[in-house]
Amino acid sequence: MIALYIVAVIAVFAVCRASIEKNTGRKLPYVNVMNFAIAGAIVLLLDHPLSLVAAAAYFVGSTLEANAIASTYAGGVRRG
Amino acid sequence: MLGEILHILTAAVIAWVLFVTVDIFFRLPERGGVSGASAIARDIEASGGALAGGNMMGNIVCSPDASAGTLLAACGVYVAGIPGGLAAALMVFIGNRICHDPGYAGTTGAVLATFVIYAFTQVGFAATDFIAGMVIAILTIQGLSHIHASRLLAQLWRLRQ
Repeated sequence: MIALYIVAVIAVFAVCRASIEKNTGRKLPYVNVMNFAIAGAIVLLLDHPLSLVAAAAYFVGSTLEANAIASTYAGGVRRG
Repeated sequence: MLGEILHILTAAVIAWVLFVTVDIFFRLPERGGVSGASAIARDIEASGGALAGGNMMGNIVCSPDASAGTLLAACGVYVAGIPGGLAAALMVFIGNRICHDPGYAGTTGAVLATFVIYAFTQVGFAATDFIAGMVIAILTIQGLSHIHASRLLAQLWRLRQ
């Protein structure tokens, strides 16, 4: 039970840090912490075997989004 | 209650050592795996951090690495024991391929973490301790001070070299 509260507090803390941070590149590690915390919270909150799949799907999806945001921030794909 | 908090803090230290060791073994600080990871590393370096540590932090953001493997393995062991952890490793492997990551740090980390976490569940720890512990461990790297975390990772990377 304490584990759930710790994870939830860390998620909120990470969101606050990401909101305060001005630099886009340095926002992403804070958002990454939030993604870890939410993936953990999904499994701790949902008492169901498929919660693992939900957490993994959320985590992989959010990582792919962070990857896309970071790549765009880096200049994106040069075409032509 | 105090016992549970101590278990979570111990689990955080174990998870930290596990994922940093696997990530450095798989050379994550060497360079950014994708352009976005390099961009994050440059921003961290520009703010006073170390480039090698920034590369590893950028790689953690851009693809499921050993830290993600450890978290999902803990979730898997909590849900279904060793088979759950190995299922998590498979999902990390698929996640790596989706994120264009050619490496195996995430999958290796997840498999190793499955057995480490299962071993600790046999001596009084709960898998939930490792879920919270891993979130604390990633907070210390990605969420407290990018400058100090990247310098520490760069020092560990120099030891590896």
